Amino acid sequence: MRRSSTAIVGVGSAAVLVAGWLAGSARFTTDLPVAPATQLPIAEKTPPPTDAGTSPLPTPTEAAPVVVAFNGPVIETKYGSVQVQVVLTDGAITDAIALTLTDSSETSVEVSARAAPILREEVLAAQSAGVSNVTGATYTTQAYLSSVQSALDAAGFMG
Amino acid sequence: MSVNTFESMGTVISIRLAPDVDTEAPDAARAIAPAHALADIRRVFDDLDRRFSLYDPASELSLIADGSLPLSGSSPEMRGAYADALGWRERTNGAFTPHRPDGVLDLSGLVKSVAIERAGRVLERHGHRVFSINAGGDILTGGVPRESAWITGITDAGDRTGLLTQVTLSPGWPAVATSGSAERGNHIWLRPDTDRSFRQATVIAESIVTADVLATAIIAGGQTTLDHVTDRFPVAVLVQLAGGALLANPAFRALIVRRPDGRQSLDLTTEPSHDDAAPSPVPESPERPA
Repeated sequence: MRRSSTAIVGVGSAAVLVAGWLAGSARFTTDLPVAPATQLPIAEKTPPPTDAGTSPLPTPTEAAPVVVAFNGPVIETKYGSVQVQVVLTDGAITDAIALTLTDSSETSVEVSARAAPILREEVLAAQSAGVSNVTGATYTTQAYLSSVQSALDAAGFMG
Repeated sequence: MSVNTFESMGTVISIRLAPDVDTEAPDAARAIAPAHALADIRRVFDDLDRRFSLYDPASELSLIADGSLPLSGSSPEMRGAYADALGWRERTNGAFTPHRPDGVLDLSGLVKSVAIERAGRVLERHGHRVFSINAGGDILTGGVPRESAWITGITDAGDRTGLLTQVTLSPGWPAVATSGSAERGNHIWLRPDTDRSFRQATVIAESIVTADVLATAIIAGGQTTLDHVTDRFPVAVLVQLAGGALLANPAFRALIVRRPDGRQSLDLTTEPSHDDAAPSPVPESPERPA
């Protein structure tokens, strides 16, 4: 039950964050991607079962993390209606997704195309992927020699 | 895949060519020896550099800068480039500008990407359909390499030897350019009210000129220009802030090369179906290697 109340608080906080983000004023580290509301594996407000006979706290060595998704309330913002889905992994918020931007006005369309905070962890790609080119702030002829691109070119690496 | 490099415009240009060549191309007979195409490309870069360099006091643009040649008397190419730059100034609400604060006309913000664009056309004319042209970190790709993809790394502004992320360039999203505030050239001037926390901006677009100009404009104009660009242009954008935090629009997220074991919850964000959302340029099926 403790887990459940934590989740509800989490939903409210995330909803406020999303509203702030849409207002264009918030700076925060939680990742808030705009995602479609369909085909999400939502476990509807079902807290993970607790075994009354044993310790109420999970031990760190337990195998699979418990992932639960909650749908928050629909909130009216100046850009239209917003509903947030919060994903909890072992009780901690690991993702918050804007499920609906119901207002079809041009404003909300523009907002959904805008750049939003993204976690560094999310953009990390496979280290084994074959990079053939590197983009960065312009390097001069001198800077090229110490650049990643120089190493890729020297190796003739195509990937 | 051959890799060729040469120096021009104060930087190094690397060109990758796939071995398969379209024999129906206008200059295909010469494609058997890529040296011809490469020599033509080198000429494209050097000719533009000679005309537009402010480092060369004898260049046409230097003559305009020192007042010895009126713009009205300059070459059609110069006036055309100036008109293009003014067009971009208009479309970026003034964030991109061809004029330095001291009034000197400086078209270097446009010339390198114009050279890349022309180089791409040279390669296609020679029958090279699968290529990449990287001029100082601004990249145009053509086609898709066999059994591979144009995986492109984006450097970390805080660690030039590290990559922030990797994206897949493809015929729908063939061009990428990055501008940085730390190493900005003379062609980027911050407006007084610009948010200086924008350290690096990467823009992926259908055209290398568009990508280059908009990356420059975002660094120059900050958050206001970033919002304007993502609202008005079909581009993918990644911005790195001074503290290291990242901003990305949905189109950019779709181009990221995902980890094969990508986290389930984060993977939800890349599922398709933008039916009732923005007419965003997000591809129907984002490139995602198995």
